[in-house]
Amino acid sequence: MAETKVSAAEPLPEAQAPERDEHEARSIRSALRSAEIDARLAGMLAALAIIWVVFQTITPGHTFMTPRNLWNLSVQTSVVAIMATGMVLIIVTRNIDLSVGAVMAAVGMVMAVVQHDWLPEWLGFDHPLTWVVAVIVGLVLGAAIGAFQGAIVAYVGVPAFIVTLGGYLVWRGVAWWIASGQTIAPMDTLFRRLGGGAEGTIGGTWSWIVGIAACVGIVLLQVMRRRRRARYGFRLRPMWAEIVLGVVACGAVLLAIWYLNRYYLPPGLVEQRGAAPGTNISLGLAIPVLIALGVMIVMTFIANRRRFGRYVYGIGGNPEAAELAGIKTKRTIVKTFTLMGLLVGLAAAVQIARLNAAVSSLGVGMELNVIAAAVIGGTSFTGGIGTVSGAVLGALVMQSLVSGMVLMGIEAPLQDIVVGIVLVLAVTLDTIIRRRSAK
Amino acid sequence: MSWNNYNEERWAKWDEPAIKAALEAGGAEYISTDAGSSTEQQLTDIENLISQGADALIVLAQDAEAVLPGVQSALEQGIPVIAYDRLIEDPGALYITFDNVEVGRLQAEAVYAQVPKGNYVFIKGNAADANSDFLRGGQEEVLADAIASGDIVNVGESYTDNWDPAVAQTNMEQFLTENNNDVQAVVASNDGMAGGVVAALEAQGLAGQVAVSGQDGDLAALNRVALGTQTVSVWKDARELGTAAGEAAVALAQGTALADIAGVVQFDSPGGNSMTSILLTPIAITPDNLDVVVDAGWISQEELCQGVKPGTVAACG
Amino acid sequence: MSQQMGPPLVELQDIRVAFGGVHAVDGVTVDLLAGEVVGLVGGNGAGKTTLIKTLSGAHPADSGTILIDGEPVTITSPRDAKALGVETIYQTLALADNVDAPANVFLGRELTTRFGNLDDDAMEDATRKLMNRLNPKFLNFVVPVQSLSGGQRQSVAIARAVHFNARILIMDEPTAALGPAETKQVRDLIKQLRHEGIGIFLISHDIHDVFDLSDRISVMLQGKLVGTVNKDDVTVDEVLAMIILGKLPEEVTQKDLAELH
Repeated sequence: MAETKVSAAEPLPEAQAPERDEHEARSIRSALRSAEIDARLAGMLAALAIIWVVFQTITPGHTFMTPRNLWNLSVQTSVVAIMATGMVLIIVTRNIDLSVGAVMAAVGMVMAVVQHDWLPEWLGFDHPLTWVVAVIVGLVLGAAIGAFQGAIVAYVGVPAFIVTLGGYLVWRGVAWWIASGQTIAPMDTLFRRLGGGAEGTIGGTWSWIVGIAACVGIVLLQVMRRRRRARYGFRLRPMWAEIVLGVVACGAVLLAIWYLNRYYLPPGLVEQRGAAPGTNISLGLAIPVLIALGVMIVMTFIANRRRFGRYVYGIGGNPEAAELAGIKTKRTIVKTFTLMGLLVGLAAAVQIARLNAAVSSLGVGMELNVIAAAVIGGTSFTGGIGTVSGAVLGALVMQSLVSGMVLMGIEAPLQDIVVGIVLVLAVTLDTIIRRRSAK
Repeated sequence: MSWNNYNEERWAKWDEPAIKAALEAGGAEYISTDAGSSTEQQLTDIENLISQGADALIVLAQDAEAVLPGVQSALEQGIPVIAYDRLIEDPGALYITFDNVEVGRLQAEAVYAQVPKGNYVFIKGNAADANSDFLRGGQEEVLADAIASGDIVNVGESYTDNWDPAVAQTNMEQFLTENNNDVQAVVASNDGMAGGVVAALEAQGLAGQVAVSGQDGDLAALNRVALGTQTVSVWKDARELGTAAGEAAVALAQGTALADIAGVVQFDSPGGNSMTSILLTPIAITPDNLDVVVDAGWISQEELCQGVKPGTVAACG
Repeated sequence: MSQQMGPPLVELQDIRVAFGGVHAVDGVTVDLLAGEVVGLVGGNGAGKTTLIKTLSGAHPADSGTILIDGEPVTITSPRDAKALGVETIYQTLALADNVDAPANVFLGRELTTRFGNLDDDAMEDATRKLMNRLNPKFLNFVVPVQSLSGGQRQSVAIARAVHFNARILIMDEPTAALGPAETKQVRDLIKQLRHEGIGIFLISHDIHDVFDLSDRISVMLQGKLVGTVNKDDVTVDEVLAMIILGKLPEEVTQKDLAELH
């Protein structure tokens, strides 16, 4: 590209007007680009939609897209989704965490013992604060384990693969050792609500409130973004794109809430709640789903709008450049592992609440599901690339496949084959597309 | 003793102490290894135990076929081998187990007694575990006629990776969705998975209304039996198994021939081998005979009756 | 060449850096005046990059003194160097390929809003203004720098170095990967910066570039300083002789010069 002569005399007067890019040939790509939507995300949503429609068509009772199944699906996905958001940051910085399942078991067992054996001794059975203490213990313990492993990776310099492989063995053994391999059940009544189930939702009204708040939030974000960019004179999204985006996003949120609200409390439980038999009580957003969504929002915020997130991507893109730029890389790495540990603790709480029991075999194989979710969502092992929302979508895609296959009566080993193929396909597709666009 | 994976409640709590006690009574010494669920590791473990001078080997096999080289090598060196609880396809080994087919039968019988007609779901064990099919076979024996006549309809059946309770819960949720909650009985093959099944039923308000089976005599499961959310837990007093294995190990090490061990019968394995076996009888624990487990010292009355309304269960007063 | 009153802008005195038993930099003393370009030349393994890393903070010196404006300073990390007004453009550019130009310009020194969040818009704005000054044809502010051409990536690296009011600039092979038009642009920029009173250490293997741009030339050979000469006082051949033979212009014979060709 020929460049004009730069005057060596004085600096040119500052440019004001937004520059104009060349108009590209009309295509879906250019429409997406002018609307500034991540093409990859759009692609994943399309893939998810296709999977859902296919399963709806081929399952014997056409039960896949019923409110009930989608409600179940949302709960089934939450545990992996929560952890996948943290795994993204770890893989982006060119590390890996294989100990996730084992840490989940260890932290889960501790939380179970705390609420099943210790707290009842001090606070008495079914104390309203039992669940709070148990969850805090779990989060702190998870974060501590994560920080410990992260410190060995960052400051001692042992490769993350090795450190977390060790963790995979060590923490599994610790989980067994905490209760000599016994199953601890049941969990505290309030704690159980973290895992979903009939008592673990926020109900119809609150779900609408959350949905409307989300809608308002989406529109507000759009407005604020527009204002900021206009102040600097940057190119803005065309108004039609803004409106379409806002309507689609808001619509999707409200549609989801409406659908989840159409899953009603099973008749047998209606009377237990003290309502007249036959009343339709909406379940709405399950608490684990709310937690997972909250985690996704917070993690996306951290990744995109905090310095820590910028450092994570900087280190992932070029660790040397990050060092030379003065970024405290070691500290940042430790933080990614600490955050991962915290999220594992949270996921463990949800999992044992859902199961209403803690077993020392909790989370076996979980690390692979979490890594697969992140990878299907676009996180690359070469480092520097990956999004939080992609990972959550990846988890949803995987769980949709598995749950759909169970509905179809496909046996477990066959399910594994399918998921494995999908994983490799997704990454292959990603690699090809990336290679094409780099030319 | 070669454990396949020490990481389960019953081994350390029940089996191992019984084995050790029987060995000590016979004047023998106990050394052990843990293969962490790896077939390769178990082969190495067996070699190690042989070179440490084992006079008899008790093997809890990770995989019935893959463990054969180790077992054959031991037998060739004149070291008797006991297949503990899990089958090893070698007629030279003594197979001591609870009759797993019988376990399946007992599970199905207890559930059938509650639900002679209706829709059944089968939550099976790990696909790679031979026991999963033994159990299923026993269940099928009992239910075959009712299924043929249409009284019982099989509306859902799946293996469960790793016998994982969380997977069982997810699968059960899907089966309930598929059948719009029209399920009257669930034949679950062990207590851990039964826990997952009951969690899924509770979310639909069906716990206590659907018959659920299990095995192992898990403390949480026995509590569920007392509460009425689980119909039966087939109990195998692991101490019996351990004692039998310990005593047989001592006898074999002292030179007794395989066929001369007390209580052996011939058992035809799926692999076509005629196994010399000691088949111990499991006991089906239902709300009516919960006192059996309390009296045997397996579970305390406190733990058994946690949350049980007074007067509903005999063993809880 | 500018007139300089008072102490030099930068003095590197008796710098030593050793890796194991190898003396990469063995007692080198060089200095730099404000508004001056000092070309640092030498063959492979001469130690130029290692020397300059002691100033940029990438690899602190084992011993020796660094003075800025006559005051001794301690530089143990890139942050220290930048705080003292030393900016570096590395041979590899040290860009994070997966983020865009504004993110790279402000890497490690991000602008934040009053809540402590990243102010991407302010950074984009500042970068646009900067680029307009340096390279008005630069248009891609939101794509990862991986998709940019060599010259554009160079612009980003330069913009980063120039933006933070550097007084001392280190440029390691700035034109090595560039085409003729882009090279001219960089050379014009160097002249302009010099005019503004910034001191520049220029490492280059292109002897003609060095001659064109430098005021003085310091030659290193195998970790030691061969000598520092005024550009106007020497010929290209004499400098080559310093680089290859390690001989000062006074010592060079006709025979040596013949050998060079």
